[in-house]
Amino acid sequence: MTKAKRIDREAGRAYWMMSLPAFLVYLLVMAFPIGLSIVLSLSNYSGGKMFGGEQWSIVGFEQYARVVRDPWFWNALKNNFYIVLVSVFGQLPLGFVFAYIIYRRLVKWPDFWQGILYLPNIISIIVVGLLWQEIFSPNGPIAEAINLSARHQFESKLTAIIGLKGHLDLGDGALGRMLALGGPQAVNMFTNPLPELRDLIKSYPVDQYKQLINDLTNLFVTRWTPQFLDKKDVAMLPVLFVILWMYTGMYLILFLANMQKIDTQIIESARIDGANEAQVMRHIILPALSGTVVNSAILAISGSLSSFALIFALTGGGPSRVTEILSIYMYNNAFLGRPNFPLANAIALITVVISMLLVLLTKAVEGRYGGKE
Amino acid sequence: MPEPHATSALGRLGGHAAKALAYLVMILFAVMTVYPLLWLAMSSFKSTREFQLNMLGLPRTIVLDNFKLAWDFGEFGKLFPNSIIYTAGTTIGVILLSVLAGFAFSKIPSRATKWIYGSFVIGILLTLNSLMIPLFIEVNVLGIYNTRFAVLLVYIGAGLPIGIYLATEYIKAIPTALVESARIDGAGYFRIFWKIILPMSVPVATTLAILNITGTWNEFALINILVSKTDLKSLPLGIYKFSGSLSTDYGKQFAALTIGMAPMILFYVVFRKQITRGVAAGAVKG
Repeated sequence: MTKAKRIDREAGRAYWMMSLPAFLVYLLVMAFPIGLSIVLSLSNYSGGKMFGGEQWSIVGFEQYARVVRDPWFWNALKNNFYIVLVSVFGQLPLGFVFAYIIYRRLVKWPDFWQGILYLPNIISIIVVGLLWQEIFSPNGPIAEAINLSARHQFESKLTAIIGLKGHLDLGDGALGRMLALGGPQAVNMFTNPLPELRDLIKSYPVDQYKQLINDLTNLFVTRWTPQFLDKKDVAMLPVLFVILWMYTGMYLILFLANMQKIDTQIIESARIDGANEAQVMRHIILPALSGTVVNSAILAISGSLSSFALIFALTGGGPSRVTEILSIYMYNNAFLGRPNFPLANAIALITVVISMLLVLLTKAVEGRYGGKE
Repeated sequence: MPEPHATSALGRLGGHAAKALAYLVMILFAVMTVYPLLWLAMSSFKSTREFQLNMLGLPRTIVLDNFKLAWDFGEFGKLFPNSIIYTAGTTIGVILLSVLAGFAFSKIPSRATKWIYGSFVIGILLTLNSLMIPLFIEVNVLGIYNTRFAVLLVYIGAGLPIGIYLATEYIKAIPTALVESARIDGAGYFRIFWKIILPMSVPVATTLAILNITGTWNEFALINILVSKTDLKSLPLGIYKFSGSLSTDYGKQFAALTIGMAPMILFYVVFRKQITRGVAAGAVKG
């Protein structure tokens, strides 16, 4: 009896010595901050010393009321929902298709494709954000590629009219076609288009026609400087594209790992019995993956609602706040200008609650329609 | 009986079409994935002047100055060691604390397990990004703002819920008889931990290492509010310095971004299999 008690006490001591360090960290980093966040969201604390500084007290739900009345909250929430939608209905299906193609060996070198498509996940979000900011900039590579090809097309059309051999027809017809190529802004360059253009062309000797074509192209083709990230009504689109670009590979990995757990013999015997690819997909693969789909959807939802760094680096929430998401809306209220910690905490907690509600909703949908495993 | 033949020929034709389509899809997306990264690496070898004239082509002259300028301006000489300290410290801390607690939760019966383990599992649903502000205030009240300790504490805390969940579920599957017979032989719990549990937990520890190395090395949101001194900053904070007004100093910025992505790509090339497996195993939520 005494020995058993001693063993019990030893086990108890070992239990606490092993679990307490982790639990203390948990209390400090998660449990206490949640409590503090709730308290702050209900208070009128305005920064400065927490204890012994300016007096602050609990004032109730007024910050929550303020958040709900703020149109910028709804703007940020809307953007978060776009991200959730792109994640759940973009990344997941695409990742599934990639995984399926690799799993069913429709392509060779499975590791190669998987390795490439997962690559963006491994790179620092800040690098990804700044890289795409450059790519989408008005003078970035997309604009450059489109400008180069427009220029090239223009040059070849112009060459077709002018020719390089010197039998240039300087009649109004040919000149008119050149001007038509350049569009209205070409016509507007001259006060008297046809004669002026004729004089211009005449000033080039025949052996310089290459130069002439080049110069006319420079004159007539205007550079296109697309403001992908600076146009208020469309700035969210490139942001969503980058999110799709970055995380789709993650779901490829998840789906593929779980497809590989399916017993291949079931699929093979189904094929021998005459089932086609679509039937294999519908009756074997999809049911086996329903749990993975739900888990991925939950990951996507909670990831979407807590994302911060990508948009912080890519747009900073701009132009004029249209790409702001909840976390950035919160961050700006806490760390930019005069801090409003109660308001920022109210935003954070609302975000957490929305995230949890969506996760519960997903689980409810699974309970209703899923569970075929 | 001509039908089976006809369908199989048709089926084969359909199979070829499906394969062609599959290749088309994969090539399209692979190019879309890799080209931006290649473009970045390529551009980092061009001078800002050359970049403006030749944005898409290969660099005509290789300019290595960009890297030196970026390295000095970003003070990467300080940031690299910091990133290594944070990543190594977090990874070791999470693994050790998770396997220890996982052992206790799964092999030492206690009425507390339900509550403590349960609270960790709930913690999986939380993301620390939403606790940025209370963490910032707490760290200031405790007087550990701008310390490596605070960064490590928060990072380890962030890694623990999933770490403890995976470790506990893994150690549960280790036969209890192993622990019991060692107990009968007179071994203490810590001895059992070192001699039996830790060596047998290498697979789950690998998963945790993968999750924490990639997560910590690239983390930005939390360290952004925990430190402001350059001496304590990590690589992502240093790279962020190249945004804004410096974004038109192309050569330097691209070199900084390339420096920022190179270590992880290297890590990925070497450990791709483990990373893929670890990510799939660690993707637990709710």
